[in-house]
Order: sequence, then C-alpha cells, then structure tokens
Amino acid sequence: METVEVTRRSETAKVVRQAKKRNMRKVVTISLFTAPALIVYLVYVVYPILSTLSYSFYSWDGTSDKTFIGFENYVQLFHDAIFWTSLTNNAWVVITSVFVQIPLGMIMALMLFAPIRGIRLFSSVYFLPFLMSTVAIGLLWVYMFDPINGIINQLINFLGFENVAWLSDENTALIAILLVVVWQFSPFYMILFKAAMVGIGEELYESAEIDGANSWQKFFHITFPLLMPTIVSSSILAIVGSLKAFDIFYIMTGGGPNHATELMGTYMFKQAFINFNMGYASAIAFIMFLIALVVTILIQVIDFNRKKKGAF
Amino acid sequence: MKKVTALLSVMVLLLLAACGGNQGASGSSGSGDEKVIEVWHIETGEREKLFQEVAKQFEEDHDGVKVKLLQTPNDAYKQKLAVSMSGGNPPDVFQSWGGGWLKHFVDQGNVQDITENVDQDHYLEMALNNGTFDDKVYGVPLGLSLDVIFYNKEIFEKYNLEEPKTYDEFTEIIKTLKENDVTPLALTNKTKWPGAYYLMNFASRIGGPDLFESAFNREGRGFDDPAYVEAGEYIQELVKMDAFNEGFNGIPYDEGRGRQLMYSGQAAMMDMTISFLNNVREEAPQFEDKLGFFVFPTIAGGEGNDTQVGGATGPVWSVAKESKDPDLAAEFIQALTSKEAAQKFTDRTGTLAAVKDVVPEDEFVKQFYDVAQNASHIQMPYDQTLPPELAELHKDTTQALFGLSMTPEEAANKMEAKAEELLE
Repeated sequence: METVEVTRRSETAKVVRQAKKRNMRKVVTISLFTAPALIVYLVYVVYPILSTLSYSFYSWDGTSDKTFIGFENYVQLFHDAIFWTSLTNNAWVVITSVFVQIPLGMIMALMLFAPIRGIRLFSSVYFLPFLMSTVAIGLLWVYMFDPINGIINQLINFLGFENVAWLSDENTALIAILLVVVWQFSPFYMILFKAAMVGIGEELYESAEIDGANSWQKFFHITFPLLMPTIVSSSILAIVGSLKAFDIFYIMTGGGPNHATELMGTYMFKQAFINFNMGYASAIAFIMFLIALVVTILIQVIDFNRKKKGAF
Repeated sequence: MKKVTALLSVMVLLLLAACGGNQGASGSSGSGDEKVIEVWHIETGEREKLFQEVAKQFEEDHDGVKVKLLQTPNDAYKQKLAVSMSGGNPPDVFQSWGGGWLKHFVDQGNVQDITENVDQDHYLEMALNNGTFDDKVYGVPLGLSLDVIFYNKEIFEKYNLEEPKTYDEFTEIIKTLKENDVTPLALTNKTKWPGAYYLMNFASRIGGPDLFESAFNREGRGFDDPAYVEAGEYIQELVKMDAFNEGFNGIPYDEGRGRQLMYSGQAAMMDMTISFLNNVREEAPQFEDKLGFFVFPTIAGGEGNDTQVGGATGPVWSVAKESKDPDLAAEFIQALTSKEAAQKFTDRTGTLAAVKDVVPEDEFVKQFYDVAQNASHIQMPYDQTLPPELAELHKDTTQALFGLSMTPEEAANKMEAKAEELLE
C-alpha cells in the first residue's frame, strides 16, 4: 500500500516537472520572439529613463565632470516659481484637451453622420489641420495673431473692437495657443470617434426606434456608452500628449512672454540647452515622466473598475 | 530562464557598446592622405559665399586638404554645437560670438588655445578681447557690428524733426510722432535681445560704461546698482508713453514683421544692430534712400556720453581641442580673417570688419566705420558676455520690464541674486 503511494507521488512529481520543462521551453521561445522589440525597448526607453533619473541627482552642465548633489535639484525645483507656472500651464493644456478637444471631436464626428448635403466635403475639411506640420501651423497662426497687421485683429477691428495683442500679452498668450492646439488636434479625435461610431450596430438604433426612443435618448443610451472605450483611450492620449506638449508652444512663443506660456517641456529644454543645467533639466524630465505615469495608471484603474461593474 | 536573461543582457551590452563606441563624424578622420577640416557656421547669403571662396582658395594653396563647410540656422546651431562638444565629437573649426558662450566651452577644456598661432595686432583690440580669456586667445573675430537707432528720414522731414542728441529731445520726437499716428519705435522683443539693447544703452548712459564691467567682475558695483533700476524705469516710461508698436513682446525679429513696420512707414525709428542695413538691401532696397541713423541719445546728469556705443563681434572663429590637426585649423581661421577676406566681408555684407585698417568702400558703411573709429568704448551685449544662465535671466527680466509685469527693483534684485550665485 505504501509503495503504491510512493510511486504515485513520484509520478505526480514527474508530471509536474515535465510541465515545468514545457513551460520553460515556452518562455524561451516567447522571449526569443520578443527579444528584438524588447531590446529596442530596453535601449531606447528603459535605459534613457533610468539614466535621466541618475542625472537628476547630479549638478552637471553636459560636458564637464558631474557632482553628486542628491535631491538638491528636486528641492530647488519645488521652490522654482517658473516650474510651478509651467506645471499650471500644462494642467490647462490637459483640461482643454480633455474637455474641449475630445467633445469637439465627438461633435464633429456626429455631424459627419448627419444626413446633411455635402457633408463629405467637411470630413476632409475638418481633417485638414491635423495633416499640416506643426511648424507650419505655428508660423501660420503667429502671422494671423500679429498684433498690428494680423488678420484676426483686422477682423476684430472691423467688428468694432480694440486690438488684442494675443501672443504678446501675458494674459492672452496661453488662450491663443490653446485655441490653435484645439484647432489642430480635434480632427484627430474626430477620426477616432468616427471609426468607433461605424462599429456600432444599426440594429441597436432600429430596436430603440421601435421602442420609441428619440434622438437624444439614442445618443445617451446607445452611442455614448458604446463610445466609452474610445473616450477612455482618447483621454489617455490627450493627457499624456498634453503633458509632453512642446512643439507648438516652442514655435509660437518659446514659452514667453515672461514665462506666461512656459510648459514643463519648454522649461526643460531651456534648462538643458540654453542654461546648460543638464542635471536640473533631467529632474524636470523625470517629474514629467512620473506625472504621466501616475495619471495613466489612474485612468487605467478607473477604467478597470468601470469594466468590472459590467460596462463595456 | 537564467540562460535567457544572460543572453539578453549580453545582447543589450553589445548594443550599448556599439552605440557608445561610435567613431564620430568629426572631419579630420578623412580617408587616406587627405586632411579634412570641418567648419560649422550659421551664416547665409553673401557671408556664406565668402566663406566658400576662402575655403576654395585654402584648398588650392594646401595640397591634400579639404574644407567642409556646414551651415546650420542660429538656434539649432547652438544646441548642435553644445551636443557635439559634450559628445566629444566637435567640428575642427566653429563659429561663435565670443563672450560667455564661448567661455563656457573654454572652461570645459573643449577649445584650443591659439595664442601662438595668431598675430594679435592683426585684430581690433576691443573685438579680440571678446575671444580672449586669461590672456589666452581662443577665438578670432571677423566681423564687428554696432547698435544704433535707425530712422526714416522722410518721416522726420515731414514733421520737422532732427536727430536727437539728448533723451529729452528723443522723447519730444516720440510725442510728435504719437500725435501724428506714427509708431515712434519698432520693437521685436519676442527674441528678447532687441529690448535688451535699451537696457544696456540706458544703463551705460546713466551709470557710465564701467558699470557693467564692475558688476560682471564683482568689483564694487552690482546688477542692483541704482543705475540699473533707473534704466528699468526709463524703459517702463517709454512703454507707458506707447512709444513702441503694439504687442512687441510677441514679435520675432527674424521673420521680418518688425522691419516691415519700418519699410512701410508705420514706424519711424528702430534700435537695431547695423546688420539692419543688410536686411534693407535684401528686402526693401528702395528704402535705403530714406534710411538714416543716430547713436543712442545721452541722458542729462548721466555718467555716459555718446562716444560709448553698443556693439557685438561675430563671427568669431575658434578651433576645437579635439581637432586632429589644430595647427592647420588655426591656419584656416587666419585665412578666414585675413585682411583681404575682411575687406571683402565689409564691402559685400554691409557690416564692419574686426580687422585693423579695413576701411569700407560703401558710403553708408563708412558712416558706421566713423562711429566705431571715434568710439571710446564698445559695450558687448550682456547676453554674450554673461554665463548662459545669467544671460537668459537678463533677457527674461528685461522682457518682463517691457511687459510691465516686473518692477525695475525686482528685475535688478533678481539679476543680482543670480549673479552672486554664478559669478565669483
């Protein structure tokens, strides 16, 4: 009796070992297949992030010897008024991206489905801004915002209002650029929403109609809930994109006047390549990374909970 | 599993090694016997053409030597050079403006000492000083520019105005122009340095030309000197008088919208470097007939006078320490700054040469030459003399003064605090 027990035990152990071996082989195969991508990821993403973190503990101008200063860069950063301005400005970019760009993109996508004559033309017209290069857009709007001869001020004059200095005025510069950002990126979300809307089954609307639902009800009970995954992924794109924003601001104002449109990105750039404070710039870069990481995780968690409740 | 990780780490290491050990694109590693001198600069148009001619001549005179010129626009150039210096991969010869920016690289030990290679008497002393640190020459100047106030003669005649000598006459002119709906002064201050000229000029006129030297070298006076505060007050007075075009803090210089105001007669005056003449000749040749200039007016009771002018050197040529053949590179920058090249430079580009005894043929440029000859002091721009971080702060605070978002005391105190931190 006892011997039987022993052999059985050794047999199960054997099976387990074999399974382990098979598993091991799988791991090797999978690893080999993912190796190229993994290496690129490690070298170009993970390694720079880690080295940025390590630079941020040094006082370093990019060429001469580094001096280790611990958390001093971070302490200085939290007392740096310009950094706080840039963080606030980034927050404004995030807010407009999520609460203006995405709804606007959705509205434009909805309009493209409306039975209006010649709407197809609009689908290309709406999309045009997104196709232009950011540098071209920046320069174009800089000319349009010209305080004296710009077309926008001439229009304003024509309507009987006083000139606005737009990009030159600390109070209006940020709003002016945000306007351009919205103009440029809404079409991107429009395309995402349009693709998602095409995927919503016609039969849902038909049965809703039979039940006597009106257009608003159809939107709020069918379209909107089914667009939720797209809204979530758009929000992640919008938020992370806004935190990393740089190009259009750099071109249109360079962060000025008097840091009124400074972003973490432009401030980091200035510290690194104009003031040659690589260590300090690395600290800014790492904070940017942390914020983006935390926000992304937060959204994912919220989305996960939403899905657990049985939503789409 | 262990094997896989080991394999992966080896592969990563190999990749890193491949990245780290790159040979570098630096010029001198030319194939065979041919020596290559790589030259980085920012100039376009006539200036670039002149460099090409000098390079060609140099190649003819030196067997087996090739000169590779590489032009990059201003802002991109600054980053590109900084990155190549830190990568240990710089060109043999590079352009700068002298001053603090060049000194930054000198302090890092990236610039070749060329005191032995060049004849110091060949250059104007005030210009050469800008590339000389601790009595060692690290850069030689080719060009010299001045900062003056250009004006539209036609508009001045129309309203019976004359070139002002004093600040009071200057403000009278501004008032007259305002009354006649002409913008008195065109200003393109997005770029920040055009406005900084006002601060430098006011400070020099009020506190004398030694003020900056003293503050910079920490010899008694500081950047919070009463003269700097007063200079800020003068700037804000002009802003409050509406002396400048609307929205000046958002208008860049390079794109030309500020110059457009001058060409079109919307604005009557503009404080600018003499390179403006070159812009006029390229963009609006017919405007040259109306173009006149005067030096910054004097201020009653101030320590400065009108023989002290603002100016800048550029291009300034230096040899990188990493250059494979520094002597040959030094020879090339001497060719670039030879008397012959300097004469061509001044005659063809409408600016002054930083080389002695080069008299411009052009009538207009001759007037600049006279100003420079009679100058008792030439003030190099602060943003080129100060270390980069302080230079940026100087421009930022000045822009804020213009935007009325900072008081003169605040700006001066900020500057002084940073100066105490960065300057010894």
